[in-house]
Amino acid sequence: MRNRGSIAGIMLTAMLALANTTTMAFDETKYPDWIGQWRRPAGVGNQWDTSKPVSKQEAPLTAEYQAIFEANLADQAAGGQGTDPTYTCLPDGMPRAMNVIFPMEIIIQPNVTHIIIEYLSMLRRIYTDGRQSPNDKDPSFMGYSIGKWIDEDGDGRYDMLEVETRDLKGPRAFDASGIPLHADNQTVVKERIYLDKANSNILHDEVTTIDHALTRPWTVIKSYHRVPNPIWIEAICAEGNQHVRIGSEIYMLSAEGLLMPAKKNQPLPDLKYFKQPRQ
Amino acid sequence: MVTSGVTVAHHSFAMFDKENPIDLEGIVQEFKYVSPHSFILLRVKDQDGATTVWNLEGGAPSILARDGWTSTALKPGDQIILRIAPLQSGAPGGSWSVDKIKFKDGQPIVVGH
Repeated sequence: MRNRGSIAGIMLTAMLALANTTTMAFDETKYPDWIGQWRRPAGVGNQWDTSKPVSKQEAPLTAEYQAIFEANLADQAAGGQGTDPTYTCLPDGMPRAMNVIFPMEIIIQPNVTHIIIEYLSMLRRIYTDGRQSPNDKDPSFMGYSIGKWIDEDGDGRYDMLEVETRDLKGPRAFDASGIPLHADNQTVVKERIYLDKANSNILHDEVTTIDHALTRPWTVIKSYHRVPNPIWIEAICAEGNQHVRIGSEIYMLSAEGLLMPAKKNQPLPDLKYFKQPRQ
Repeated sequence: MVTSGVTVAHHSFAMFDKENPIDLEGIVQEFKYVSPHSFILLRVKDQDGATTVWNLEGGAPSILARDGWTSTALKPGDQIILRIAPLQSGAPGGSWSVDKIKFKDGQPIVVGH
């Protein structure tokens, strides 16, 4: 028993030493100060290219996907949701998550950087340990992200995180207007994240999306403002979502929890699996 | 207090007819301060005296909280007036925003609006 206690003691000492070594290995002075809460600027809504109004995004869509986008706009005009899938509480996925409709927090660790977005508690893991993107990774809405820290000005402190994200699943859209990404989900998202040189309370994300729905890579620069004394809110979409998709139609729940039509002259849902009294 | 005055939604609000808003006056049955959007269940007396409970979708707590709202900003029994964008179908549902709602006596729901 005494031996077992000694071995346990040695193992504990070794683990503590290893943990201490790991902690020591992370020199936070080498990384930029991205601590805090980051919000999209006032006046910016849920549009992809924040330099343009939501109705004038001018996405470089192929003819096929431009037609899909226009059909989506017609459906939204009639009261539908078009190609925007998020009304059912599906996550934004990448790259839309970086619209940061609700604030985000960035946690830098030596081998991985986490981006936590309040809306739906969306989590991005950006691996910076030198690994390669796996070939057999199951796709996900947030994708698999590989990052690389860059010391642009050579002052010994990283100032930019370059990220490449692949292995995405759909359905996804760029924003609430329904600008679609290709159904093949072969999207590649490249980002360059850095602090504004003149104002360290502004963070920029230069996002380039490569997707078969686009005629060329689409680059936008998104900006976020650091919030002093932030508050954080839990945002669990399933808690109170009142929009219901049945078949191809989207209905809304009434105050009593019954189905209401959302559109004019909307058809009833198909009730073929309910036993109906004979007329 | 800075507010956008509009409902920034994670999804399209196209099912609500913003071009033809209507005014409602009623008694709060319940204020659901939940994600993805808050809801006011409002008891509204029709012209014929019958009461209809409207289901009215507003901003997310993530937006409202940063405008000073809390889960107790509205309580059952509160009398309010508001301008809503009704459902396109005409069913008793709609959307509201923080700049178009107040208590019946004209007081703001949250100071600053």
